[in-house]
Amino acid sequence: MADIANPTGKGLDLNGPWARAGGAAIILILSLIVLYTIGEEQVFPEAATSRFPFADWVNNAEDWLKANLRWLTRAISSGVGWALETVEEFLWTVSWWVVLIGLVVPSLAYGGLRLAIITTLGVMMWGAFDMWYEAMSTLSMMGISVGLSIFFGVLIGVASAQSDRFEAAVRPILDTMQVMPAFVYLLPAIFFFGIGPTAATMAVMIYAMPPMIRLTNLGIRQVPETMVEAARSYGCTPRQMLFKVQIPQALPSIMLGVNQTIMMALALAVLAVFVGGGGLGEQVWKAIVKLKVGWSLEGGLCIVAMAIIFDRLSQAMSSQPEAPKLNRGEMLFRLLPQSWEPYFLARWIEQTINVVWVGVATVSTAITRAVAKAVGVISKPAGEVIGKRPHLVMALTLIAIIMILQEYAPRSWRPGDYPGDWEFSIRKPVDDAIAALTIYPPFYSVTQWMRAITYLYFLKPIDFFLTHLPWWYVSVLFTAIAWYIAGWRLGLLTVLSLLFCGASGLWGLTMYTITGTTVSVLFCLLIGIPFGVWAAYSRLADMILRPILDTMQTIPAFVYLVPALFFFGGNPTTAVIATVIYAIPPVIRATALGLRQVPVEVDEVARSFGTTPLQALVKLKIPLALPSIMLGVNQTVIMALAMQTVTPLVAGLGLGKEVYDAMNIADTGKGLTAGLGIVLMAVVLDRLSLAITANQWAALGLK
Amino acid sequence: MKTTFALVGAAIGLAVAAPASAGGLLKAPVADWTGGAVTCEIIHQILENEMDYKVKRITMPSGPGVAEGLRGGDLDFACETWPSYSTTKEKYVTEYGGDGSVKYFAPVGVIGQSGYFVPRYMIEGDGAVAPDLKTYADLNKYKGLFKTLESGDKGRLIGCPVAAWECKDAERIAGLSLDYQLVELGSETAHWAEMKAAYARKEPFLAYAWTPHWIFAELDLVEIGLPPHSEEAWPVSDWPEDVTYNYGRPDLSDDHPQVVQLIENFRLSNDEQAGLILAIDIEGKDIEDVASAWLADNKSTWTNWVPQTN
Repeated sequence: MADIANPTGKGLDLNGPWARAGGAAIILILSLIVLYTIGEEQVFPEAATSRFPFADWVNNAEDWLKANLRWLTRAISSGVGWALETVEEFLWTVSWWVVLIGLVVPSLAYGGLRLAIITTLGVMMWGAFDMWYEAMSTLSMMGISVGLSIFFGVLIGVASAQSDRFEAAVRPILDTMQVMPAFVYLLPAIFFFGIGPTAATMAVMIYAMPPMIRLTNLGIRQVPETMVEAARSYGCTPRQMLFKVQIPQALPSIMLGVNQTIMMALALAVLAVFVGGGGLGEQVWKAIVKLKVGWSLEGGLCIVAMAIIFDRLSQAMSSQPEAPKLNRGEMLFRLLPQSWEPYFLARWIEQTINVVWVGVATVSTAITRAVAKAVGVISKPAGEVIGKRPHLVMALTLIAIIMILQEYAPRSWRPGDYPGDWEFSIRKPVDDAIAALTIYPPFYSVTQWMRAITYLYFLKPIDFFLTHLPWWYVSVLFTAIAWYIAGWRLGLLTVLSLLFCGASGLWGLTMYTITGTTVSVLFCLLIGIPFGVWAAYSRLADMILRPILDTMQTIPAFVYLVPALFFFGGNPTTAVIATVIYAIPPVIRATALGLRQVPVEVDEVARSFGTTPLQALVKLKIPLALPSIMLGVNQTVIMALAMQTVTPLVAGLGLGKEVYDAMNIADTGKGLTAGLGIVLMAVVLDRLSLAITANQWAALGLK
Repeated sequence: MKTTFALVGAAIGLAVAAPASAGGLLKAPVADWTGGAVTCEIIHQILENEMDYKVKRITMPSGPGVAEGLRGGDLDFACETWPSYSTTKEKYVTEYGGDGSVKYFAPVGVIGQSGYFVPRYMIEGDGAVAPDLKTYADLNKYKGLFKTLESGDKGRLIGCPVAAWECKDAERIAGLSLDYQLVELGSETAHWAEMKAAYARKEPFLAYAWTPHWIFAELDLVEIGLPPHSEEAWPVSDWPEDVTYNYGRPDLSDDHPQVVQLIENFRLSNDEQAGLILAIDIEGKDIEDVASAWLADNKSTWTNWVPQTN
């Protein structure tokens, strides 16, 4: 790396690895000297904390809003509430077949047979675990909040693409919306929007809208200037420009935003229970307050199934279907891996599937043509639109048939609810397994060993270091690091953030949060990078890891908090373990992706020089993949910070606990202050890791 | 095509038109803990079966969210608040010096008692490690048993899980000069999970708990004696009795006086509730079935609660 960064290799090499290591060593020694000369727990000066009653200002503002704005929020809430109830009632009363068809037909059309099978299994899981009605409630809540997020997100995104100043004003708000712990605004949401799914929808929108805004803005800004110029020279009006040129061009980016918004919304589905939002979150909550792990796992898996269905479906809808690469004479496999083509049995299965596939396609094309023709009589453009969307016609036709049957057919013919005979439960085996592991001595000794290592060698010393160094020393140190890496602006932001936390009386808690996050991120890297390397080298590993990572990211943390408590006990280590589970997937994904994107030639060149594969990996491929890995680290850091607000439920400490405690006494000011502390930390770390990434790219001469 | 849309539309229309109940729709939160939930379920079933109301039961964490819901008029009433664990009563309940935006209706009848507990296997039986542990005075002698990685030389006391509750564990530890480190696990879930796992491994632990509670149906715990409660000594003494109460939104007395009257007449004793908790948590019965079975068996009791001027 150093050679690339400083190709001449002459003179004083300030960026070289030795210079950096030396700098770090000097800082460490200096810190230890300061630590031993001062040597007691440090507090932020009283003079500053007593003059900065930020929490009181927030509470006064909240009181004013409560007195003056409630009529407006209640009006909004009754509108949203009506929409929610309508959708929910519809989903509750129709046959489960309607929901199945409504999701499977588009899956089949956009994602093929494999996606259709995943969707079918997912939908059946809701019924199998006897959580159909809860799933429908969550589905309607997600539908409305995602719909509104997309609408307002595109609106704001378009606006910020038009004006740099507006974008600059919106950006910090978006950061705040994404990182501000939901516990801060859930209680006020009850007062403003009422108990129930409406308040939950509003809370979900706060969290889920930012990616929509960001990616719409990005997509429109990335439309090539030449295209805009060309359109303008043809006399495009600004409106035409937007609707006919910019938005269609930005569509892939906007669709990615939709995908992200759906995933974020589902991540908050469980917290809806804190405002009486019902749905699957209610099941998970009811289960964990009684420590029923199996029950909560069923609820959690239903949410995972929903996330996977919508993730894959929206991805399939936004990307162009790529034609599979077939060798001469090979037949197309719809279900099984294409590499099984040489085997007779596989070909026989696929042949059968193909016959059905062609049959279904023929029938639906015929029906679509007929419908399009019929509609075409009334309105020609409408007919054309319908003719191009056979899956829509088929889905509606099938749904109509089922609804007619449900209404008029003899009782035994009615499609009805999910059949009770198809239910099954994993509650007892899961509970039994957890109970057995809890008292299994070898397992317990491993978990206790992990607990000891984490606490004695990581959490305790780092926390001691940060809380016993004077506040001004820590502030100067962090500011200098930020300045050195990313310039004076970030240095300024760092010092202001630290002063804000200190002046709000949160110095010790802030230091603890830094400790907890640092240790968690460190563990994510130590565990995640090897897994990422494994996934990059082995297709099989990648196949095994993908669904596991998806599950880790979307399963509600509540589900694994209870087993983590059983195994590791109620102590700060459990909080670290929970954070690692939640925050590790991006590191693994980014490492695997980064390594796979390294050009094949690198391997060949390395081999021709006689390097071992390990040397090639460590000396060549990882440095080349570093920018990509750093982006994953960036996400991991943000996710680890976001998790700090959940870990207080399992003996986690720091700013997150302050937020949680503030919620318990309905003190919005206190909660918002600590929440802002977390937001500021996230923003600083985000910009810092982005700057490091940019430096890496620059060092590689790529950007 | 048009028929399809018409049919879909008709189905939505049919679905939306739901029948309304004559007495009206009431909204009440379901408590997190079995005792509170079954208390409320009895009231709900009387309202639904005898007084023509429909009760919408809302699952949400019991806590300040419920108070916000009552103040905003989105909830009508709630059951069995424990004064020690209500973090908002001083703000909102007149009886505790609040502004009256949440109304105290009447005591439930259930009297709660908090304390420090250890598992019975520590004190009795073959493997008993602390046979003489009876009161707080013996705790320092046995502190080595309660040591953990994080507590150093001190013993670990698992205190109140939520900081805002009125436990004052830290003051009590200092006042009784106990050589113990206080640990706050952050949530009830974590608190019970820690106890349950330690119990399963037959490890020693010293933890805060309160009765009546479902945890006592699962774990056999023994209370450690504390100096008897007194106002002057508090918090360096045992806890006061928790006289639990039912409460609601202030306007409910004007809108539905008979509902408030029912809640005021309602009483359930500790023993009665303990039987219900046992049926739900140990025998694994449905809370609705347990409540309706109780109603069937105790007709003479609850018929007096139902207001006559209906």
